[in-house]
Amino acid sequence: MADNILKFSLNRATNVEKLDHGNLLSVCHLRDTFTEAEIRMVVKMPELEIAEISGHFRHIYLDGIDNLDDSLKKVLGVRVGAGMLKIIKGLLGEAENLDQIVYMVEECCHGVILHLTKKVLLKAPDDPAGRQEFYSEMVKKSIRLYDRCAAFAKGSPLVASLEAEKRAGGRF
Amino acid sequence: MISEFNRNKIIDVALLDEKTLAVHGILNDSIYSLELDFKVNLSDLVCFEIEGRWLRYTTPECPQALNFLAQAEGFCLALGIEEKIHKTVGRTSCRHFANLLIECAYAVRETAKLIRYQEAQVHNPELTWQEFLLGESETGSNFSQKAAEDTEDASVAVSVAAPATGEPAKRLPTPATGKSGAFIIDMHMHTAPASPCASDSVEAMIAKAQRIGLHGICLTDHNYLWSAADIRSLRKKFTFPVFRANEIVTEQGDMLVYGFYDDVQGIIKLSELKKRVQAAGGFIVAAHPFRGFLTFGADDIGLTPEKARSREMFQLVDGVETLNGKVTATENGLAREVAEGLKLPATGGSDAHDSSSVGLYATAFTRPINNEVELLAALKTGDYQPIKFR
Ligand SMILES: [Zn+2]
Ligand SMILES: [Zn+2]
Repeated sequence: MADNILKFSLNRATNVEKLDHGNLLSVCHLRDTFTEAEIRMVVKMPELEIAEISGHFRHIYLDGIDNLDDSLKKVLGVRVGAGMLKIIKGLLGEAENLDQIVYMVEECCHGVILHLTKKVLLKAPDDPAGRQEFYSEMVKKSIRLYDRCAAFAKGSPLVASLEAEKRAGGRF
Repeated sequence: MISEFNRNKIIDVALLDEKTLAVHGILNDSIYSLELDFKVNLSDLVCFEIEGRWLRYTTPECPQALNFLAQAEGFCLALGIEEKIHKTVGRTSCRHFANLLIECAYAVRETAKLIRYQEAQVHNPELTWQEFLLGESETGSNFSQKAAEDTEDASVAVSVAAPATGEPAKRLPTPATGKSGAFIIDMHMHTAPASPCASDSVEAMIAKAQRIGLHGICLTDHNYLWSAADIRSLRKKFTFPVFRANEIVTEQGDMLVYGFYDDVQGIIKLSELKKRVQAAGGFIVAAHPFRGFLTFGADDIGLTPEKARSREMFQLVDGVETLNGKVTATENGLAREVAEGLKLPATGGSDAHDSSSVGLYATAFTRPINNEVELLAALKTGDYQPIKFR
């Protein structure tokens, strides 16, 4: 069996660029064995609202999506942020050929969030102690990170000072 | 036009032997670089032998994430598994590994379909995709059943509520108000199983509220309506004021709705909700309006109170939750400045999802409140304030 020859392969690229007035353009492009699709979204800054959106979708065996751009317009005004996935899914509906579209809209939003995250992370110092301190402060500032992944799990050195404050009856 | 952020994902799926797929996924972006390798049984899409690798990461503790990938062993990667991957791999390992695994799961499903199509073509070389898919849906070989079983969060049965006005005006023994004479209600909390994201029962939440000296609580389960009868029996059992409200998802975020007893499911437009709540004489409070992101805040993106207040949402709500127990001090502060700027009344609530955070924040009313009708009337007076209760 030719196990070196792939049965299926997928490439997904998401790019975020800054537009003239500070708004962000986020584009997610997918090419896999069956699908070629793209979603382009403009996010208004600093409100982080979806201001423009369009896309296309071609698939070998799923029907194309009629009036895709009209469907996409339903998410205009949605704020990129906590709780957005539920909202996007609810607004676009759950038809089979829309699954991928919903996912790509989410990926565009994640791209925006990660771009903004990158700007914060660039402030992290280079020395190990400094980094430790930086991330310990980050979880204190954004308590929702606590116990939400391995790095910030209960008992992790990164949450030690937060947990100490907690035990002392501090603000956490 | 510099690309400010770039994320590339590559997924390869090969046939290892007749029964097994080999999957290799790479996620490479401006911040992270990681890989996943695993195998999948073609017969049931169950994955095994998962291995992960970090090439670039952020915190010194990120490498720990690799120890938790094994949780996904045995998952059936059929459609519907995404939620479970988020809740296991995403929460205990790393959300970026979860993202990559979800991408791999999609690739696995597409590959399995291709292989079955090619097998069917051996017997019928003329078979088209359309004919093949028709046969698939008839034999139900898309595994979605199994994935549904894998997803633990069964949706919660919603009981139908009687309208508020039907609630007997039976008075509870008036609880003592605080030293200041204020009557303190935690206006926002979730209970299990009514809210899938909550972990303690309504009884546990009430017991805690009573123990810490709150004067009342409001149940705001997500798009869930408590029945008037259930609330009556809870009030009786605990001799404690328990009120019904609802936290409804709109396209502009979560809304706490008081004095409104429609059972709203799915996403409703805020403008539509406003119409219905207004007609019913209810009251809408924008819940945690600036609940933001895990890794950056409003200050990092230059969102000022002046800009924030122009959001359309604030034209449609009756009040703003300015102390919410699940958001940062900055996010609460921004909500407060916006509410002040727009002269909207402000409330406070813990948004507790388990009993440990009940009463973190609450709302202090100026006089005792005995039932939902009085609560609604009090909300409309604007005579209350959000407080840090403990
Ligand atoms: Zn909420
Ligand atoms: Zn809530």
